[in-house]
Amino acid sequence: MTPSHVAFRAEVLTALAILSVLAGALTLSRPCTAADSWGLPNEKIVVLKGTVVDIACHLKGDCPANCGDGKRQLGLVTDDGKLRPVVKGGTDFAGAHRDLVSSCGKQIEADGLLIENPAMTVFFAQKLRASPQAAWQDTNAFLSHWKARYGETKEWMRDDPAVREKLAITGVLGIPGLAPPKP
Amino acid sequence: MRNVLSIVLPAALAVGFTLGTARMLVSAETQAPTRVTVTGEVVDTWCSISQIMYAEGTAHHQCAIWCAVGGIPVSIRDKDGNHYMVLRLESEADNVATPRLITIQSHSVTVDGDLYERDGVKYLFVDKVADDKGIVNMTHAQYGVVPFGE
Repeated sequence: MTPSHVAFRAEVLTALAILSVLAGALTLSRPCTAADSWGLPNEKIVVLKGTVVDIACHLKGDCPANCGDGKRQLGLVTDDGKLRPVVKGGTDFAGAHRDLVSSCGKQIEADGLLIENPAMTVFFAQKLRASPQAAWQDTNAFLSHWKARYGETKEWMRDDPAVREKLAITGVLGIPGLAPPKP
Repeated sequence: MRNVLSIVLPAALAVGFTLGTARMLVSAETQAPTRVTVTGEVVDTWCSISQIMYAEGTAHHQCAIWCAVGGIPVSIRDKDGNHYMVLRLESEADNVATPRLITIQSHSVTVDGDLYERDGVKYLFVDKVADDKGIVNMTHAQYGVVPFGE
């Protein structure tokens, strides 16, 4: 091996060592993600850090107490200033408003799927935590709240009084008297 | 002097923190809204935007009701595929699972309201439903009942 080969090898090893240190530092500095991919178009697994806001309040200044106490659509104003509507939580067919409302006006981290559809960008929150030191919590407050109000259920959406009342009038297709096609 | 500072300094910090927090809750960058008239179908935002399932008309009506009652935002999708997330519907101050939002699911409507566009989302505050044709998008013959076929 010539002296130039030795020098080149040393340079390569040094570069690899530096890259390893940088990669390690980058890994440690990134939040640990735990969200599950759903394989959706335009889906990106991300951890958002930001402040919980009532979106109507944030945009229009129409601000009831405590972000509307679960009756308002909520979002995150992220650290880079973006407003992200949180439209979906961990309960089937339900949002994450019950999970977020207890953090109204507070900084949180949200692990989930950012759906960047050209028509609209929305966020599906799967897990939340109040700080990097806190444990991640699943976003299932809607179901907990529902069960506390109505009792145990296998599928809340089939047992919900508002759903049953509406579909008893209109049918599953939304038009009275119109029957679903037979399988 | 030290006594005065010991009172004034924490008070100033508290006022600054409060104002800073309030600024975060109400956007300092909020633009004036644009007056718009939107015509389209009322849809479930999650199913429509995520494309997780077929999300139009009679075939998806039951699922759209489930999602509206579950607190997922309701949107209006126009003929060009634009989606407008409805944050107020006429006199309803709330926008999660309100009676009127549930009633108009899957309907074809024309509405007047204020539009705010922010970070890839069109947010709509509807003053008036100018026209409500009910459910006219008959998709069930082709798609059945989505998602569970019952």
